Amino acid sequence: MKYIGTGMTSLTNRQLAAGKGTFVADYKPEGMLHMAVLRSPYASARIRSIDTKAAEQMPGVVYVITGQEVAANMNPIFEAYDTAAMGAKGVKWYALVPERVRFVGECVAAVVAEDKWTARAAADAIEVDYEELQPVTDPEKAMEPGAPLVEPEWGDNILVTRDFRSGDPDKAFAEADGTISGVVKQHRYTGAAIEPRAYLANYDPYQDLLTFHASTQNPHPMRVFLAETLGIPETSIRVIQPHVGGGFGLKIPTFQEEPLLAYLARKLQRPIRFVAERTEDLLAGGHAREERLYYEVAYKKDGTVTGLRAKVIADVGAPSALCGWGQSFVTSYCIPTCYKIPNNRVQLFSVVTNKCPWNAYRGYGKEAASFMMDRIMDNVARETGLDRAEVRLRNYIQPHEFPYSQVSGAMLDSGDYPKALRKVLDMIDYENFPAMQAAARKEGRYLGIGIGQELTPEGCSMPRSTLLGGWDGCTVRVNPSGQVTILTGVTSPGSGNETAIAQIVADELGVSIDHIKVIQGDTDTCPYGLGNYSSRSIIMGGSAAKVAANELREKMLKVASKLLEVAPDDVDAEDDKFFLKGAPTRFVTFKEVASTVYRDCHGKAAFDVEPGLEATRYFKHPNVYHQPDTQGRFSSYPSWPNQAVAIIVEVDPETGKFKIVRYCAVHDSGVVINPLLAEANLHGGFVQGIGGAAFEHLVYDESGQLLTTTFMDYTCPTAVDVPSFEVAHQETPSPFTPLGTKGVGESGVTGPLGGLCSAIENALADRNVRLTELPLTPSRVWEAISAAQGGNR
Amino acid sequence: MKKTIQITVNGKSYSRDADTRQVLADFLRDELRLTGTHIGCGTGSCGACTVVLDGRTVKSCCILAADVDGQEITTIEGISTGAQQLHPIQEAFVEFQGLQCGYCTPGMVLSAMQLLKENPNPSEDEIRHGISGNLCRCTGYHFIVKSIQEAAKRLQASK
Repeated sequence: MKYIGTGMTSLTNRQLAAGKGTFVADYKPEGMLHMAVLRSPYASARIRSIDTKAAEQMPGVVYVITGQEVAANMNPIFEAYDTAAMGAKGVKWYALVPERVRFVGECVAAVVAEDKWTARAAADAIEVDYEELQPVTDPEKAMEPGAPLVEPEWGDNILVTRDFRSGDPDKAFAEADGTISGVVKQHRYTGAAIEPRAYLANYDPYQDLLTFHASTQNPHPMRVFLAETLGIPETSIRVIQPHVGGGFGLKIPTFQEEPLLAYLARKLQRPIRFVAERTEDLLAGGHAREERLYYEVAYKKDGTVTGLRAKVIADVGAPSALCGWGQSFVTSYCIPTCYKIPNNRVQLFSVVTNKCPWNAYRGYGKEAASFMMDRIMDNVARETGLDRAEVRLRNYIQPHEFPYSQVSGAMLDSGDYPKALRKVLDMIDYENFPAMQAAARKEGRYLGIGIGQELTPEGCSMPRSTLLGGWDGCTVRVNPSGQVTILTGVTSPGSGNETAIAQIVADELGVSIDHIKVIQGDTDTCPYGLGNYSSRSIIMGGSAAKVAANELREKMLKVASKLLEVAPDDVDAEDDKFFLKGAPTRFVTFKEVASTVYRDCHGKAAFDVEPGLEATRYFKHPNVYHQPDTQGRFSSYPSWPNQAVAIIVEVDPETGKFKIVRYCAVHDSGVVINPLLAEANLHGGFVQGIGGAAFEHLVYDESGQLLTTTFMDYTCPTAVDVPSFEVAHQETPSPFTPLGTKGVGESGVTGPLGGLCSAIENALADRNVRLTELPLTPSRVWEAISAAQGGNR
Repeated sequence: MKKTIQITVNGKSYSRDADTRQVLADFLRDELRLTGTHIGCGTGSCGACTVVLDGRTVKSCCILAADVDGQEITTIEGISTGAQQLHPIQEAFVEFQGLQCGYCTPGMVLSAMQLLKENPNPSEDEIRHGISGNLCRCTGYHFIVKSIQEAAKRLQASK
């Protein structure tokens, strides 16, 4: 049988459903100590002094550490991006802050103790004398002259800017039939994996080896970051990633606690574990999304958009070593997404504030670009009187126009946007919706339909990055008894890429998937690779697996052909056999060929092949351009999956509450290896998108205090808050990967943003409601209704 | 301070000294080494720590171990008898992809088990309400609901 294209369930399901998975917090080695962290209670303050005496004297306390010791013995945390190569400002961020705190939750001191209660109590007994400083918590206020500076030596609060131009926007605006200006605002929210961050560090001085178990997405990059931050050899560290309880980008290193724990384990030579409490993860586990996008568009009365000026202002929080701020860059990079707009100016202002630093979160800034374009297309439809779908169809890049270079230098690989949109409109019966809407209205029910258009570039590859690269590695090993071991450089946070990679190798070798085991997440056994982010596991890892397995296939075909006494070109492999094409009853088994290579390497059949059946190969994506063009632009995303969604909602205009009645999506991520797991990933993306669009909000007050520090305040959607989903795949293969794959992991989070705004506005069309800001809580929708009626409610 | 408690977990009796600060979830995980009960929030909001206590589901992160003296507990480890003998609800989760990372799964399965005990033939809406105390960030709930629907059918058919 062939496995590619088959919707198999994940290979890890049985173990995890039984509750027999192993997560970091499940490890409890003999003599294990616990680390607790003291965090800054202020958004901006100078540390005058720290008194650790009371903590040190508590029974059960083993060690107390502050930023002074850290700064004297460790390097600043190694940055995920090469900030200089990105034209951005860098920061010296230590594992514990020695002098000045820049957000509530930043690590100031830590205690190692025999049990976790003692560690916590002792951390709380540390007395810090702070000189409170004026924080800045609004990005536009942070841009004003004289604003408090998050990093005084920078001279301003701007981390990075970009200014992309194409065509002649001024001319386009002068010649337009109409123009529209507006803003869309996305609030601060985050991935909130149910497993909090967790690490276990154990040092063996006899081997000079630090074993670091981590709930991480990137074992190899993490090892580099730890080695560079601690100033020790990479080979003295082994990072092991056991099961990970959700990542979504938030478990990409490096957080302060990671090198801190590694340092303490080496110093104390005892195993130490740190498991974040939920509050700690919400305070300091990485935020995302908070962006304001100001726009002006010029359009013709036939609905074609001829010019766009966009200004992205991103509040990336305090600068850190994390890769999160790159999301703001990616927002500007994606504009104007799927659309062919000839005249553009796109500016980015990535602004630092005294809030939690951004870390990566599924979507990685792409969602904001598509959200803004959705709002623009809806507004152009409203102003021209055209249908919302029609306006999109008139502005899409057409399938024959790829590869298509956007204003930012982004090189879009392929796609068929009109086909996907038409398909989703058919699924939801868009044509007949007005009749359904009118019938419902007669019953007093307010139904609305909305369209969301996603463009989700994947396979991120940034210049000179330790973390973000357009390549990965895989080892495929056929054992003497015919079983196959796959070792990958990519990792799985539970999304099932191990299963899809096994499917790819099974097809390439013609071996049954039951004979395959996949090993991931161990720097001492797996080939070097960059782990999991940017939906890269199948694009890069799957392609590397294909190439490595192909090398073994060629070798085994050669041996099989000798055993069958035919030419290699006449032999094929499937169902654990090598057989003569056209005469499948003439075969040798896969096991027999493997055995021959290992056990009879001086015999006739295997005489002219190298012994062993193991291949490690690397795949490098060809659609990446790091040599800057004349505008200094480079192309960092090689793969461009897209999706069209159509959503029907019912809105209660009295309360502003809405319910999703139907949710349809047509997704195009190129060739799909495993349609079941691809769909499962999309479902998760939809709910995180709906969560962001309507439920989840990290709320700060003006003094920089986070008000949403538990799951009672930071409210993720439950099963009753979301609908069932209707999903169809469309396959426009990537021209650049050996299997035509494009990546699916991040897709799904974007559609709900524009799609829900569009649907709610449509439900309340006769009230002329305008939605520009998320989240779409009942009060926000109610306020929009009220504002449309002149605020007289 | 320690308090001696006698409890029955998955049919087995234990007499242990529990730290009076220790929540039930930590007691199960650290003292009995039943690590299938997970902790996601510590405030009873996410449901990863759900166990069955004297016939009802509870969030074991919000109950002190010292307070369950004399009571009977079922954890995820107690509902199957081996890798190939999972509970029908677990089998349905495996076959219908009702999980991804598996962190919320033990709590989700136990909530589903309790739901089907009380309501063997629930509607989709009743299933969604039945698991509304359990957060999942990976699956979007879609295949979880489907898994529970299938499990309900199978459990009904086997009666």
